[in-house]
Amino acid sequence: MPSARSRVCNVLVIGTGAAGLRAAIAATEAGSQVLVVGKRHRLDAHTVLAAGGINAVLGTRDPEDSWEQHFADTLREGYFIGHPRMVEIMAQEAPAAVRELADWGCPFARLEDGRLDQRFFGAHTYRRTCYAGDYTGRAVLFALAGKAQQLAIPVIEDQYISRLLVADRACFGAYGFDLVSGERTVFEADAVVLATGGHTRLWRRSSSRRDENYGEGMSLALEAGCRLMDMELVQFHPTGMVLPEEVAGTLVTEAVRGEGGYLTNREGKRFMLEVDPKKKELSSRDVVARAIYKEVQAGRGTEHGGAYLDVRHLGPEKIKKKLPSMYEQFLKLADVDITKQPMEIAPTIHYAMGGLRVEAETGATTLPGLYAAGEAAAGLHGANRLGGNSLSDLLVFGRRAGAAAGAYVREVQLGKIDERQVTEEQRILLLPLSADGTENTYLLQQQLQKAMQDGAGLAREEKSLKACLDKILELRQRSARIHVPGSRKYNPGWHTARDLRFMLTVAEAIVRAAIERRESRGAHWRLDYLEKDPALGRVNFIAYNDGGHVTLKTRPVPEMPPELAKLFAEPESSSPAPPPAASPPKPQQVRT
Amino acid sequence: MSSPIVLQIFRGEGDSGAEQRFEVPAVEGMVVLDAVHYVQANFANDLACRWNCKAAKCGSCSAEINGRPRLMCKTRVDEFVGEIHVGPMRTFPLIKDLVTDVSWNYEVNKQIPGFTPAANEPVPYKMLPEDTERVYEYRKCIECFLCQDVCHVLRNHDDKSAYYGPRYMVRIAALEMHPLDTRKRTGLLHGKAGIGMCNITKCCQEVCPEHIKITDNAIIPLKERTATDVYDPVARIARKLNPFSGAAGISDLVAATDGQASTPQRFTVKDVVRLKTRGRQFARVASVLPDGKLQVWVLRMNGSVQHWDGPKIVHTSDVTNNYGPLDEVGIGGKLVEQYITEDHAAEQHG
Repeated sequence: MPSARSRVCNVLVIGTGAAGLRAAIAATEAGSQVLVVGKRHRLDAHTVLAAGGINAVLGTRDPEDSWEQHFADTLREGYFIGHPRMVEIMAQEAPAAVRELADWGCPFARLEDGRLDQRFFGAHTYRRTCYAGDYTGRAVLFALAGKAQQLAIPVIEDQYISRLLVADRACFGAYGFDLVSGERTVFEADAVVLATGGHTRLWRRSSSRRDENYGEGMSLALEAGCRLMDMELVQFHPTGMVLPEEVAGTLVTEAVRGEGGYLTNREGKRFMLEVDPKKKELSSRDVVARAIYKEVQAGRGTEHGGAYLDVRHLGPEKIKKKLPSMYEQFLKLADVDITKQPMEIAPTIHYAMGGLRVEAETGATTLPGLYAAGEAAAGLHGANRLGGNSLSDLLVFGRRAGAAAGAYVREVQLGKIDERQVTEEQRILLLPLSADGTENTYLLQQQLQKAMQDGAGLAREEKSLKACLDKILELRQRSARIHVPGSRKYNPGWHTARDLRFMLTVAEAIVRAAIERRESRGAHWRLDYLEKDPALGRVNFIAYNDGGHVTLKTRPVPEMPPELAKLFAEPESSSPAPPPAASPPKPQQVRT
Repeated sequence: MSSPIVLQIFRGEGDSGAEQRFEVPAVEGMVVLDAVHYVQANFANDLACRWNCKAAKCGSCSAEINGRPRLMCKTRVDEFVGEIHVGPMRTFPLIKDLVTDVSWNYEVNKQIPGFTPAANEPVPYKMLPEDTERVYEYRKCIECFLCQDVCHVLRNHDDKSAYYGPRYMVRIAALEMHPLDTRKRTGLLHGKAGIGMCNITKCCQEVCPEHIKITDNAIIPLKERTATDVYDPVARIARKLNPFSGAAGISDLVAATDGQASTPQRFTVKDVVRLKTRGRQFARVASVLPDGKLQVWVLRMNGSVQHWDGPKIVHTSDVTNNYGPLDEVGIGGKLVEQYITEDHAAEQHG
């Protein structure tokens, strides 16, 4: 490439979402010189889509709540394959994280007496979710960005990181290029924090924003020799839009059911009354998603393979007042007036529970000098994520990863640049522009998303997963023959060609792990193994790079200390235990 | 919708470029961004456009569609009869095709002093529900910069130095209306932010995809606040009686006299003060020392460039007036002009 730049810093943070910014703030406070890079405009991170809220045991509404209860709820909902120490840290440190954000100007909703308000989210025992309207994520991100600006932390936009640089078994920076000019930059750093989000855009019908969540960070780390964990565990949100095709998967907030919406099949029957007579439509996400799937399989689905979500009985006034964004979303995108017609919905891919295997205390990956936080990291959520826990995750572990990276920097010797890695990456990157191949990168990407949707979706079985794996391997072959016209200057085709490499690597890890988990657990639903397997309930699947192939091994789930184990009367109980009988009234149950 | 959609998409780099015609099969519910993606996947892999969420939440797919600033993901193709012209935002420099360089906005953003609660505010902060709800509207902004694109002040001035633009009026409003924020930004608004340039045509409000009432709820209240702080004679006298509580408005400078302040002045770091010494220089408090002494940096103007000389130790009795905390930007630009003219006038009279 013509002009190569190099930038030097102590800690390089990849990703400008809440986890990345929180890590950058912590590393700066630890005395490091920090540089934050992102693919998008600043303040345009996926965090903004987190609408519902952030969990922290403050006890403002329910003083009897405790961090132990938050711990128990989270681990139980994760079907006991989450990392107990991570869950413990999250439950203990989330309150401080939320208070700190409020102090940085985040406009959380308040009670009459001025304290932070808390509301219910599904499957929590008490009210412990703080929120700011229906855009909590954006409010959190803006508060963090304001703090980062006060600390004068540099953020560089439009940077595409395509490789982690490794020497002597340690990470010392990353290779990237500028999306606008196409010029490369070598980022030299003593430590790198990956805050790159998840991988849910691998599926066609996903609630993720369209042009992100390709599993970039997971793939970067796997290629650099790190281990991934729990890749088969992917959360489905039961209600995504079905039509129009172009926006399929866009989230229909859980508030719709929280406000009293009915789920009906083609015959107009409320099928949730039978599936879960107690919680009805507000049963947990995996249960509702599966119920919809079963209705469709039984031939009682809607015309486009979903179910109806009906709020007409609430009356137009209440709908417009309580669900204004949904009213507008359907009117604008689907020409559906939800005060007059039911919404057509189907389950949509929502969240990656799997990701990089990290140390609970520090977010350190298996590669020295490389840290990870947020959706990119695994362990906290186990087999199913509780609503509102993801924002707590970002803040608590973002801070820990940044602080740990800052501490590591003080100890480490200067890394060496391995020129060969730079030239090698450069060669691979430029291939699609120079090669005389015939494959269209966009069409390959669409095929991969379709294969994942068909083979590794909500309901999985050995046959469909193996077919999906074959398709992935075929697409990998074909991706070597991609050709993209034009120059390096802001060329989305060229960017997509690199995205596709990330996607194929991560897809392979997901599908291989999904084949191996021969049981149904949490979000992972195998039609050929409908029951839980207690033996598999004691292990996590680890994926690693073995000479260019994604290979799997198992690792026992870490044990929890006896005093915490006592919280669970029957840790191997077949389903998440219901909340205590004395649970307080639930005025509002919202999560998105 | 059987006949194909005809798109005229602007393609080019830097100063040059032209529209290129594409035909795209119509699909039920299609938005302009879908049509652009179809073109990208099938006819022009290297067509540059920013996009991300397809749900009007990320603010990256801003463009001018048939001449009107819109989000491509929120604009249905069946709204239009005939050809659809899609071009980049004209207010910002073109990078390529539909992608523009909006980095000027981030530079402006850096000039706005952030959230500043009182140092002795008890933590955790307490706020009333209605106070938090008041700032919700401003927080809805997705930074699509359509308001900046449509604003005639920015569109017609190449250097954009006169006005920060509607987006940053919204941001300043979010800070100014925050119940715990103690900072005054009216000096900045009157000065470099140039709120006076807005003549309330409400175009920004009309194009906002988040339906923020930019003019009604941000710009007009800020104009009122600025007028009160900068021009209101009653407020001015009140400030003179109690200089510490007042705003660092510019009118203070005009009104400054060799005042024996009737109340004892208090000083904190970053306060802007005026010295009794020759030339009545401006200075910035660097630290407050015991025995009524201050360490200050003294402003010396070299043309339009500011130099801060020092540090120098002065006694508080050498200070004629305290304008409150330094508003990093307000002291520049127009404040300096004022300073020079005023000094010039003083010389003539002297």
